[in-house]
Amino acid sequence: MSKLLLILLMLTVWASAHALQIDEERSIRTLFESKHSVSRAVHAAAQQLNKEDLAEGRFTINEEAAYATAMEYLRLNLLLDASGHPLPGSRLRQRVVLEDWAVINAGQPFPFTYRNSRYDYEVTLDRPAVVMIIAVSYPRLFSMMEPIVWHVKGTAELTGPMNAVYSSHSS
Amino acid sequence: MKQILVFVLFAAMLCWMMFSPIYKHVFIVREALLQKEVDYLLETGASGSRGYIDDAMVEASRSRLEQAGMSRDQIRYDISASDGGVATSSARPLLRGTGLILTISYPYERLFQIDSLIGIAVPDPEERMAASGIKMSEYVP
Repeated sequence: MSKLLLILLMLTVWASAHALQIDEERSIRTLFESKHSVSRAVHAAAQQLNKEDLAEGRFTINEEAAYATAMEYLRLNLLLDASGHPLPGSRLRQRVVLEDWAVINAGQPFPFTYRNSRYDYEVTLDRPAVVMIIAVSYPRLFSMMEPIVWHVKGTAELTGPMNAVYSSHSS
Repeated sequence: MKQILVFVLFAAMLCWMMFSPIYKHVFIVREALLQKEVDYLLETGASGSRGYIDDAMVEASRSRLEQAGMSRDQIRYDISASDGGVATSSARPLLRGTGLILTISYPYERLFQIDSLIGIAVPDPEERMAASGIKMSEYVP
């Protein structure tokens, strides 16, 4: 009888270790996927040039187009609907929240340091850029692990000629 | 006698406990590899020097996944462009501003077969796990 109890006890311990391991592996994968999605979203946003300024030889980001594109690419990569809720097939279960969005445009003195002390994020930019921070809740399969919310941060700078004029102060 | 009975009763459970973590791990690693491959192909394919994912890149990717133990012919690549154009031709790269969409899928095979020992419904071996992504091309002619 004592052996039966021992077997049951070991099965429980083994099963919980197993569950914890699966959840940890999946949570790290969710973090990687979110990070790549944010990177692709800001990368796409940083390509939205303001055509009127470009005609005058200045490279600036069209802020409205950048926001729309970033949201579109984030949604397509993470499989979300328009309000940020996951669609069927997505790995996530809870709404993805946009926590910070900034377009650092020409007009700033470059190099410019963007700081967000709330999420402990700091980045130094040499040219116009886009910054995005989202919150992603990892859906736990088992309750062995504490709930996790990732604050995923990403930045992309405008790609363009290295010697172009980025700051309106110098033009 | 009683102990043998206990062992027989628990045998399926014990087998599942011992071997199912390994299969689960293989599943997680395969999904991760697919995602990594998607990331790599999008990173190189959407870069300023390409703007496409052609057959040579897909073949190289198949070889990499084959080294990780996947069957070459079972891997399926779906490559498209956000504007509906052709994304696989090096002669007609996607221009800056167009999204490159890639999905790589692979069948579950019999990774979950062991779960039927304890009565969990097993997905069909032909069903596919998939990883996908979209990245904006940087290519400027």
